[in-house]
Formats: sequence, C-alpha cells, structure tokens
Amino acid sequence: MRIVVMVKQVPDTTEVRIDPKTGTLIREGVASVMNPDDRLGLETALSLKDAAGGEVIAVSMGPPQAVDVLSEAYAMGADRGVLLTDINFAGADTWATSYTLGKVVERLAAEEPVDLVICGRQAIDGDTAQIGPQLAEHLGWPQVTYVGQVRSEGDQLRAWRRLPDGDQEVLCPLPAVVTVLDTPGEPRWPRVERLLEACRPRAPLESWNAADIGAPADKTGLRGSLTQVVETFSPKTKRETRWLEGTPAEQAAALVADLREKKVL
Amino acid sequence: MTNPAIRSDPEKLLRQVMARFVDQEVTPRAREIDERGEFPQELFKKLASMNVFNVRYLGMKKGATGNATLYCIICEELARGLVSLAAETAKQCLMGTNFLYRFGSPELKEKYLEPSMRGEMVGSFCLTEPEAGGDLGSVTTTAVDDGDHWIISGMKTWITNAPIASYFTVLCQTQPGKGIRGLNFFFVPRDTPGVQVSPRFDTLGTRTTEISEVAFNDCRIPKDYLVGLPGKGMGAFFAILAEIRTMTAALALGVARAAFDASFQYAQERKAFGKTISKYQLIQAKISDMATDIWAAELMIYDTTRKLDQGQRVDKESMMAKYFATEVACRCVDQATRILGAYAYSMEYPVQRFFRDARFLLYGGGTHEVLRQNIARAMRF
Ligand SMILES: Cc1cc2nc3c(=O)[nH]c(=O)nc-3n(C[C@H](O)[C@H](O)[C@H](O)COP(=O)(O)OP(=O)(O)OC[C@H]3O[C@@H](n4cnc5c(N)ncnc54)[C@H](O)[C@@H]3O)c2cc1C
Ligand SMILES: Cc1cc2nc3c(=O)[nH]c(=O)nc-3n(C[C@H](O)[C@H](O)[C@H](O)COP(=O)(O)OP(=O)(O)OC[C@H]3O[C@@H](n4cnc5c(N)ncnc54)[C@H](O)[C@@H]3O)c2cc1C
Repeated sequence: MRIVVMVKQVPDTTEVRIDPKTGTLIREGVASVMNPDDRLGLETALSLKDAAGGEVIAVSMGPPQAVDVLSEAYAMGADRGVLLTDINFAGADTWATSYTLGKVVERLAAEEPVDLVICGRQAIDGDTAQIGPQLAEHLGWPQVTYVGQVRSEGDQLRAWRRLPDGDQEVLCPLPAVVTVLDTPGEPRWPRVERLLEACRPRAPLESWNAADIGAPADKTGLRGSLTQVVETFSPKTKRETRWLEGTPAEQAAALVADLREKKVL
Repeated sequence: MTNPAIRSDPEKLLRQVMARFVDQEVTPRAREIDERGEFPQELFKKLASMNVFNVRYLGMKKGATGNATLYCIICEELARGLVSLAAETAKQCLMGTNFLYRFGSPELKEKYLEPSMRGEMVGSFCLTEPEAGGDLGSVTTTAVDDGDHWIISGMKTWITNAPIASYFTVLCQTQPGKGIRGLNFFFVPRDTPGVQVSPRFDTLGTRTTEISEVAFNDCRIPKDYLVGLPGKGMGAFFAILAEIRTMTAALALGVARAAFDASFQYAQERKAFGKTISKYQLIQAKISDMATDIWAAELMIYDTTRKLDQGQRVDKESMMAKYFATEVACRCVDQATRILGAYAYSMEYPVQRFFRDARFLLYGGGTHEVLRQNIARAMRF
C-alpha cells in the first residue's frame, strides 16, 4: 500500500496566546511540535505497512523548520518525507492549504499510484478539521473521517469511525482520504538512529516549492485564500452568581425554569 | 529538488524527542515509580524501542567515545524526569555494556549485547569493594589464570542494577602487588556458578535503582571473557572515565533544571503577605543564582562533550564539569526546598525527590574531595 500522511507542525501549547495589539498568534518562545493527531495518522499508516508492506510518505507544508516533523516521521518509520515550502504558500487558509496538499498528492500519484491519504482529524492551532475533507474534495476521492482503527482488505479499506454514540464500521474503496483521531495502540516513539539519519544530507527528505507541484501563485497562500481573518481574539467569559432561595423543591423549580429560559434544557 | 536540502539539527531534534518522552511518559509516573522502588522495566523497554541504549555505539568508530553530546542530552533530559531512570539508562549505554562492546567476542556480543540494546538484559559494572572505593589500586578481587579459564574471586559492593543484572563487568587484580597496573576487566554472566548477589540495599534516593553486593566465589569463566587489553586494563577504563564524569554532570544538570522549573513556577503562584513570593528580592536572588549556575554548568558540560566528540582529551574539563554541575544540582535542590516551603517537605510533591536523588551524584565519577585534588594535579600544581 502506498500511503501519504499529512503532518503539520504546530506550536506546543493547547492554549495559543494572541497578541492583543496585532490580533495574530504569538509564536515566539513557543516550541514547535508535531500535531498530536498527526502522530496518530503516522501510527495508522505504519501499522498498515507493518501488516501488508508498502511505502509511507510524510508530507508537510510550512516554513523550513517544519522539516523537524518530517525528520520525526522518518524516525518513526516513514520511508520518505516531502516538505512544501515556498514564500507563495504563506498566509494560506484551509482552502488554499488543502489545494496545495492536493497538488502534492497528484504529483506523488503521477510517480506511482497512491492508495491512501491520511490526515489527522484536527490541528491544535488552526483547529478547523477542514483539511482532510477539503483534500478529499480536491482529489475527488471518498473520505472517512473520525477514524480510530483501520484494516486493509485488498483494494478496499475497512475503517472504524469513533462517533459520539458509538463506533461505525465502514468499507471504503481505495484510493481514499481518511482522518484519524485515535489508534488501537500508542503511537510508536521515534528511533534514535533514524533521527540521526534524517539529519544527514542523503536522507530521503525532499523540499518542494510551488513550481515543483505546478501550483499557480493565485491558487496558493494568501492570494489563493477564500477567507480572510478580520479579527482574532480570546473570547471573554463572564461569570454571574445567583442565589436561589426557598425550600429545596422551590429552588429546584427555579433552577429548572432558569435553565429552560436560557435554553440549556 | 529545486530547494537546497533542508535538514533538522540532530541535537535539537533529539532533545525535543527526549523532552517529550519525559513530559509524557516519565514525569506523570515518577512519583508512583519512585515510591514502588522497583526497576522501571516498562520505561526501560520503551527507551530500548527508541534504540536509546545504542546512542554511543552508533557514533563509535575506533576511539572509546562516540556521540558524547547526544548521549549527555539524553541523560540530562531523563534526569529532569527521574534521576534513577536516567542513571540506569546512562549505565546501560556506557559502563554496563562498553567493555562487552569493545572487547567481547562476536558470540558474546550476540548473546548479551544485542538483547541489552533491546532492553531485555541489564548490564552491571563492578569496581567498588568494601575496602576499595575511590582508591581503586586497592581492589582485591582477583582473576587467576587457570589454563583455558580465569578464576574470579572477591567481593564487590554498591553495585547498581546487580539484583536484576544478567551479567557483570568486573574489575579484578591479575598481578597482586602491581596496584593499578595489574587491574583488568572480566565478563561474568550472572548464571556462572559461584556468583552470589545480596539482597538490595535500602538507600536515601534514586530508589528505583536496585543496588547490592556481589560475591564471586571461584567463578570459572572462559579465557576470552577478559574484556580489556591484556596488561592495560585501566587504559580502557581511563578512556571512558572522562565520559562517565561528563555524563554524571549531565545527570546533575537535569535534576538542577527540574528543581529550577518547580521553583520558578511555584514562586509565581504562591502568595504571601499580599503578593506572590516571586516579588520578593530574596526569592528573586535564589532564582537568579539557580539560573546562572545552570547556565554555567550547561556551558561546561557541552563544551566538554564537543571536545570528546572531536577526540580531544578532557581529563581536567570532565572533572571540573562533574564537580561543578553536581554542586550546582545540590545547591539548586537545596534552594528549591526553601522556595517551596513546607510543600518541599511533603512526599506528595516532587521536590523532596530531587533533593534525595541529587545526593547520589556526589559519589560516582569521583568524590569531590578526590576530584579537586586531581584537578589541581592535572594543572601540575
Ligand atoms: C479563516 C482562516 C484564515 C486563515 N488565515 C491564515 C493566515 O492568514 N495565515 C496563516 O498562517 N494561517 C491562516 N489560517 C490557518 C491555516 O489555514 C490553517 O492552519 C491550515 O489551513 C490548516 O488548517 P487547520 O490548522 O485548521 O487544520 P485541520 O483541518 O484542523 O487539520 C487536519 C489535518 O490536516 C493536515 N494538515 C493541516 N495543515 C497541514 C499542513 N500545513 N501540512 C500538512 N498537513 C496539514 C494534518 O494532517 C492535520 O491533522 C487561517 C485559517 C482560517 C480558518
Ligand atoms: C547510588 C550509588 C551507586 C553506586 N553504583 C556503583 C556501581 O554500579 N559500581 C561500582 O563499582 N560502584 C558504585 N558505587 C560506589 C561509588 O563508586 C563509590 O561510592 C565511590 O567510588 C566512593 O567510594 P566510597 O563510597 O567507598 O568512599 P571512600 O573512597 O571511602 O571515601 C570516603 C570519604 O573520604 C574521602 N576521601 C577518599 N580519598 C580521599 C583523598 N585521597 N583525599 C581526600 N579525601 C578523600 C572521600 O571524598 C569521601 O568523602 C555506587 C555508589 C552509590 C552511592
């Protein structure tokens, strides 16, 4: 199976702070890490490879330092890494990001067919969970989201989706796009010797720019984006305490009435 | 492709991965593991799955050292989480397996070294004796040439990992009366008849490290279990001694950083007399002293490892780094126990563990009384 895994480098914090003056994310002083869901994506791909052989290619779009997540992917067992980096890609919204990632998959598929693309469900910084589904649209492939477990069955993929009310089992033709939020076991840790190999000039990690994937400037980055960020802010939460009086029954009735009024019940 | 090759920096990358391992796997369980006081088998196996124990050998060509910088980064980060796990790892990478790696026959390596790298076996290093600590010239365990065998007899003590070790690298006297020049190293599998391991010692800190005495009662081992250059046993030891000392300094740096991090955070949260204690100058002085000490230790350690990696001799530098960094660790854990007030004294908070564990670093790699004497000597003073 030939599997492409999308891996994003994100700031290492769940509470991203925003500069009140500029309205942009404060990235200074915050270490960058591999998006947690993407570690699960890699584990999913690598266990498919363990079971049935094949090739795992990690792809990341970002600035040059995003190569670190590809080195880590290689150290976990990926065979190859592709870093998409180009000044034109800067400022991309999800539409432009998924377009660009789609062009990479097309180029890789032109070399040799790609059977499966795996994305994390969600990135902890952008948080939209849109890339996987949009990528499937760009490629015109079926998609299975919220996946917690997969099994390859010939030219089909059996996947278990983790939904709020239970698991859903799906059989999907390949090629397809899958977004993952869990794996049966813990994702494996990188191996030291492969981490060191990844840093050598001969490592199978490539960097591609816009020309390499034939992506025109008006379809990528800020220019290719359909949305614009008008303002980014931390929502303010207000707290208000109300004391309920009366007997326990009266208090309960007042509470229920209040919750109904606020449409909580 | 069109872009020039973009590559990660190996030191930064390895540190990131180890730091995540510590934050995710070690720190959340450190208290429970320390209280149980058993060898942390599960974490040890995980480190093996990362091929951590092989880090020195991956970089080793002819010389005795390889990847000293990367090795010390691993030790430092692990010590930030749990000093005993870090020390066990450090030993498995270096003293526990080094002589087997360098001088073992291919059969011996296949039987013992490979499983050790997979975390299935633990190695142990036996220098100290009841009557010979820092003064190794007084070692009395003997190795007697008996034709196609050696016969090992004697008693070793304070042997880290002995209760769970699969084999021992044992410092023995081959020519009684010759002192240091008669010493050499021998490989003794645990199942050799005559090997006797005592119950484990009860210790102040690093409580997951199991330590005991080992008696060798006329243990017969094959001739090729001599794991050293004939007649030059201590040469091979002196070749790694600088690395042992620098590694010990890295362990010290790790625990100093843990104490600093705990203090830095707590001082900004704890309020006294209407403001956080971080607003008081005497607390600020402590934080500044700790940070300054830590930075100096870091510079000394990684300057020494870089020289080691270039094959330079660092006898003096490694002694200075071990001496300084360990004193820094002891100062930092001491300050942390003051900054955290009573909570430093509670077994529920980790600072008491840092305090206990840091003491362990005072002895191995040379006591500071002996080191300071030797630093002066290294300067021909
Ligand atoms: C309205 C809007 C405007 C934005 N404007 C800007 C802007 O001006 N400048 C800017 O820098 N950012 C901007 N962003 C953020 C940027 O578009 C997103 O970070 C990016 O498109 C990925 O979206 P996400 O983080 O929500 O990913 P999700 O959809 O949550 O991620 C799901 C999965 O997609 C994959 N994936 C996502 N991004 C990448 C990547 N780069 N490389 C490889 N795989 C990836 C991963 O597998 C990930 O787990 C904007 C986002 C929005 C919603
Ligand atoms: C947790 C732990 C784990 C250990 N693990 C191992 C192990 O795996 N293998 C192993 O072989 N050993 C191990 N040791 C032993 C360790 O190497 C010794 O403790 C160390 O060599 C010091 O020896 P000693 O304790 O006998 O002290 P001694 O050498 O007896 O020293 C006692 C005191 O006298 C001072 N002193 C000694 N000589 C001089 C001098 N010339 N001038 C001035 N002062 C002097 C010392 O500084 C010290 O203060 C371990 C020890 C500990 C605590």
